[in-house]
This record gives sequence, structure tokens and C-alpha cells, in this order.
Amino acid sequence: MSSAGSADQGAQDGEAPPQELGLVGEIGATALDLFDGARGMYSVLVRTLYYTAYGRREPGSTVHYMYEIGNKSLFFLTVVMGFIGMILVYQAGVQAKRVIPDLTLLGATYLELLIRDLAASIGALMLATRVGAGIAAEIGSMVVTEQTDALRMCAADPIDYLIKPRFFASIVMTTALIIWSAAVAFTSGMLTAYSFFEVAPRTFCNLSLIDKGDLIVGLSKCVAYGAAIPIVSGYCGLSTFGGSEGVGWATTRAVVNSSLAVIILNFFISGAGIFLFP
Amino acid sequence: MIAIEEIEKSFGHNQVLRRVKLDVPKGCLYGLIGPGASGKSILLKIIAGLIRPEGGRVVVEGQNIFEMPDIELQKFRANFGMLFQNYALFDYLTVYENIAFPLRRMTTMTEEQIRERVADRLKRVQLPGFEDRMPSGLSGGQKKRIGVARATVMQAPYVLYDEPAAGLDPVTSQRIFNLLRDEQRAAGSTVIMVSSDIERLLTVTDRVGMLYRGRLIFDGTTAEAQESQDPYVRQFVHGLVDGPL
Amino acid sequence: MASNDDGSPGLFHTMGESLLGMAETAGGMGVLFGRILARLARLRFDGAEFMRSMYKMGVKSIPIVIVTALFTGGIMVIQAAPIVKRYGAQGLLGWGAGFGTLREIGPLLTALMLSGRVGANNTAELGTMVVTEQIDALRALAIDPISFLIAPRFLAFILTLFFSTLYADALALLGAAYAGKGLLDVEPSVFYNGLTSGLLSFSDVGVGLIKSVVFGIIMALASCHFGLAVKGGAPGVGRAVNATVVASAAGIFVLDYFVSFGIS
Repeated sequence: MSSAGSADQGAQDGEAPPQELGLVGEIGATALDLFDGARGMYSVLVRTLYYTAYGRREPGSTVHYMYEIGNKSLFFLTVVMGFIGMILVYQAGVQAKRVIPDLTLLGATYLELLIRDLAASIGALMLATRVGAGIAAEIGSMVVTEQTDALRMCAADPIDYLIKPRFFASIVMTTALIIWSAAVAFTSGMLTAYSFFEVAPRTFCNLSLIDKGDLIVGLSKCVAYGAAIPIVSGYCGLSTFGGSEGVGWATTRAVVNSSLAVIILNFFISGAGIFLFP
Repeated sequence: MIAIEEIEKSFGHNQVLRRVKLDVPKGCLYGLIGPGASGKSILLKIIAGLIRPEGGRVVVEGQNIFEMPDIELQKFRANFGMLFQNYALFDYLTVYENIAFPLRRMTTMTEEQIRERVADRLKRVQLPGFEDRMPSGLSGGQKKRIGVARATVMQAPYVLYDEPAAGLDPVTSQRIFNLLRDEQRAAGSTVIMVSSDIERLLTVTDRVGMLYRGRLIFDGTTAEAQESQDPYVRQFVHGLVDGPL
Repeated sequence: MASNDDGSPGLFHTMGESLLGMAETAGGMGVLFGRILARLARLRFDGAEFMRSMYKMGVKSIPIVIVTALFTGGIMVIQAAPIVKRYGAQGLLGWGAGFGTLREIGPLLTALMLSGRVGANNTAELGTMVVTEQIDALRALAIDPISFLIAPRFLAFILTLFFSTLYADALALLGAAYAGKGLLDVEPSVFYNGLTSGLLSFSDVGVGLIKSVVFGIIMALASCHFGLAVKGGAPGVGRAVNATVVASAAGIFVLDYFVSFGIS
């Protein structure tokens, strides 16, 4: 077992949290943390983009991470989105029947919602836990075992070598996985509509409400979430300190912060979407 | 040579290094000692440019490494080899790829030259034929030796060792120290070594410095350290129970 | 969660391995659940640890629940906006947002956020205690780790999720009301009318709260189970945290489905 070095003890002493902040203090401290974190993440993003232009091409590593992200999340995402599709259509159907007895537009509205928001946002929340936690755990363990320092000694900046390939892999795979999620959720929704409300699949598959705006909003969400997850979790991983406890903390923070990033990005992209494509 | 001038470093309110000044002459095997949490490892990482100090300079071959732009510093690190306290072997790469990593990143050697160099390194650390093993399947002593092989594979003029023998049995650690000294003599490199195993460390060093509470309280030859009358140095070097520490 | 070695085993091998892994996890969680219930039933759990956990889990999560809830309420209205405009159904906005929030989105998103903030954190803490042999030390002192550590956390986790869902519901509706004013010019009073006009009943709140308890049980079990099962130092803790959040998320959605059907 590798014990934490003297430096880590020093850092921990310095970081000992002051006791009893009270609720307002707690919120203030969280806000400050978020602000600090946002600045750190911004700097990681800038450096990732910098290395995209000037860094070293690592042949194959982006493909490797694409495989890893896809392989890790496909099954998980399929299960979750399948259940989500059933739940949403069932709930929507039951409620809609109370107000408008006609369910012919159920499928069209559901599909529009899926493309505009739900597929991307719920899929990305799942990926934030699955992929984000994985990235933070991997990079965090490398930090506490000094592997990132060893990388830097070999002229391999961790951002260039570790985060950049994950960044591109995540953008591509998030988009692909979310399109898959939408298909799964739509199919399971269609089956639910057929078996509970006798909506024929042909009526349910109604593309009439989908327009260019929905597709643009949906796709820009995919790209934004795909970019945010590795940046946020990579930042959390790189700022790990301490031993195994530190890795646990970093992973936790990665999950929370990337989920928050997804929710906040969703708010702003959806808001922009409303104004640009009313 | 490496000139360390007035280095200051703190984490939060905790001042780890206070105006540390130290010269390491070329071709010297320098041992850095001190009690736990005295800032030895931090100083080593500052010398390698891995941690930025709040004040002071580290001048290597006439260049202050903290004035270099990041990209420049990355290239300059080809002059350094480093062994880390926790081995820091890349756990997803084989032993071969671990040792070849610096060569791949910082040189234009062909695969054949790399293969030859790695095989030679592995022979030097007495682990020939270990190329295809994964680090997770090695013992502590083997990991340290692979780490030494990686630190010396670039034949860098400056090599830094952080606790090369921590957690090893006495026989293995003496072997590691002897190996490091032989390496240093053969390559003519300048070496700075941090270790808590004073007794064995002093069998190989040329000069010794002692850090205590972030200050450098001693700097001299190994013989001077062993005969020092300074109460702190005397107590620490000889492992006495009574004294100011 | 099957290991992906380079001597890649066939597809069926991998699938079988994952199935076995899942069965093992489910079994481990079931056994743990039984042991926790046995302690709770006989009131054999540490009160001080319970209060500490309530503070760490409940109080410390308040900021993140507030942020999530407010944004979620806003997003609900943004998403409903095209539909509301299409049918000119401003009066139904409150009902739609209220229904969605209380029954589904409130409990779901609160659970997902707390799965990261509380569940993962708990796994990391327990995992670190395992790695640093603190659990063994407890056993050596003849202290039962389940009643001393696990049962109080389990209880605190469920209560945290229950109360967080309660006020997340309220805050999300508040966020929705003001997003409706900003985006659709629906007065908050119209929004509240839609909420209280009789289309929604207490059962909608109740269903959401029942869900939160069910989610709490599965998340607390997953987080304690993976925390106690940590092997292999710092990387092991990272892997355990990862496994916790994934198992929690999958568990939440699967159970959500069954609860939604079972109740209505």
C-alpha cells in the first residue's frame, strides 16, 4: 500500500475544513468552490484546445478511448433508456387521457421531446456518472501514484496525453450513444403506447412535429455534453490530492459536477433554442 | 551544476520550504536527508520543475527553469531522469513500454535502437527478460528497479531519486543504493537522492544536505556530516533518541 | 463489470461473466439489506454516527439540491413551452409542470444528484476505511461495523433523500413558475391555480415521496455494498465509486418503472 507522502499531509493540514459554517456559509462556500472549479475547468478546456492545435498526435489513442467509452456504456444506457421510454409514455398517456382523450399526437410530441431534450439530457446524465466517474477515477489514481508527474517528466503533459484523446472520443461517442438512446427510448415508448393505450405503431411514428430547430438543439446538446463531461471530470481527476480517500473524493466530485454541468448547459441551450427556433 | 536559490514554498498556511539555498556540483551524488514532512520530496519536485515555488530560482546549466515557457520546459526535461516515491510506473503499459516511454516521447530513436537500449537497461538492473510483464505483477523491489531503469534510460545528465529504497528489506535496499551509485559513476551524471534510510544512503553519497522544518540546516561532504557536532545533524545521522529533534 | 483483459474472451464468456457479476452484486446487497434490517429492528445502531451522517449527507447536500431543483423547474417549462403555445393551454402549464415534477422529475433528479453527492461519497469513505484497515480494526475491537457504521448511514441516506425530494419538489415548482413568467408570460398566480385546481392531488406528491424512499434504499445499499467490497488501494476506491454510481442509476430507473406501474 502506498502511503501518502509528506507533501500530501501538508496539503491535508492546510485544507482542514473550518467547522460549523451554517447554512448560508455552506451555500457561500459551495458558490466559491464552484467558481474556483469553473475557472480551473475553463483553463483545462483552453489547454485541451491548445494541444489540439500544437500537441502531439497519439495515433490510435482516441479510437481506444472511443471503444472504451462505447463498450462501457452501451448496455447500461440501453437498459436505462428502455425503462425511461416506458415510464414517460405511460405517465404521459395516463395524464393526457384525463385532459384530451385523443392520443394520436402522443408519439409525435414524445419524439419531439426526445430529440429536443430528453434523449440528450438523460443520456448525458447517465454518461456523466458512467464515463465521468471512470475518467476521474483513472486520472485520480494516476495523480496519487505520481504517474502524472512521471508523464510530465517525459514531456507528456497530462492534458495533452490523457485528456485530449478522451475529449474527442467523448464528443463523438456521446453523440453516437445519444442517438442510440433516442432510438431505444422511442422504441420502448412505442411498445408501451401500443400495449397500454392501443396506439398503433404507425400512428406513434409521426415525424410531423420534428423540424430543423429540434435537430439542431438536440445535436448541439450532444456536442456540448460530450465536451463538458471529460473536461469537468478530467479537471476533478487532475486536482486529486491525498491517497485513496483523495481518489474517492475526486470521483465523487466528477459525478456531481458533470451532472450539474449537464443540467446547467441544458438550461442555457434549451433557453437559446426557444429564442432561436420558436 | 544545479543551483537552488532562496526557494520558498507553502501550501495554505503551511510553509514547507523557507529560503532554501543549495548548490549541487556537476558529477556529484548528493544525498538529501531530514525528518518526515521536512520538505525533501517537495524540493526534489521543484528541482524537476513539477511544482512551482512562490519565490526563488532553480538554475540548471545557466538557465532558470521557472522562467522558461511551458513547452520549453517540457523539452528541457529531457535533461532530467526521475524515480518517484511510489514507483509511478504506468500501470496500463508493459515493463518494456514503461521504460521505452521517455525515449518515444523525447527522442527520434528507431524501434530497434529502443529495444536494444531497454534490454541493456533491464540487464543493468538485473531484471533481464522482464519486457512483457505488467507492473501490477511485480514485487516492490522489482518495481523500484524498473523505475530506476526508466529514470536512467535517457542517459540524462541529471537524475533525481525520491526514496529509492523505501519499504524494501535491508539487503534489497543496499543493492539498490549500490546500483544507483554504479549507474552514476558509469554515466558521470549529477544525482540528487532523497532517502530516510540514512545509514545506507551515507555509504554511497559524496555530499549531504539536511532539511529541517523547511530550512537547509546542513550542507557538506559525507564525512563532515558523520562528524558534525551540530546537535540536530548529529542526532539525525546517528539515530540518537536524545537530542533536540 | 467484467474485466477486459487483452486475451479477449468471447462475447458469451463476457456476457456470462457480467451476469454472474450482477448476480453477485444483487446477492451481496440482499444479504447486506437483511443484516441492516436486523440491526435496525432491534434498534442496535450508533446514534452519534447517525447524527453525524445526517449532517454530512443532509445538510451538506442542500446547496446542490437547491441549484438542481431551480434549474430543473426552469427546464421543464422551457420544454413545455412549444406544446403550451401550440394548444394555447397556458392554464394547464401549472398542472403539467406540477405533475411531471412531483411524480417523476423531482424524485428522479434529486436521487441522481444525491447518488453522486452522497452515495459516491459514502462509498469513497467506506472504501478508504477498508483500504486503511479501519474496518478490521473495528472488528478487532469487537465492534460490529454494520450497527456502528452501516446501519446509521443507511437510515440517514434514506431520510436525506426523502426530505431533499420534499423541498426539491417545492423549489422546482418555484423555478418553473418564474420560468413560465419569463418565457411564456404565464403569471405565477395562473401557474399556482393550475397546480391547485384539482387535477393534482396529494397522491401525486405521495407517489413521488414513496419513490424517493425506494430509491434511497437501493442507493444506500449499493453505496454501502461497493464501499465494503473495495479491494486494491486507491484505484480500487475509484472503481468502487464508479460501480456505485452506475448501479444506483440503473437501480433508480428500473425501480422507477416498477413503482410507477405498481402504484397507479
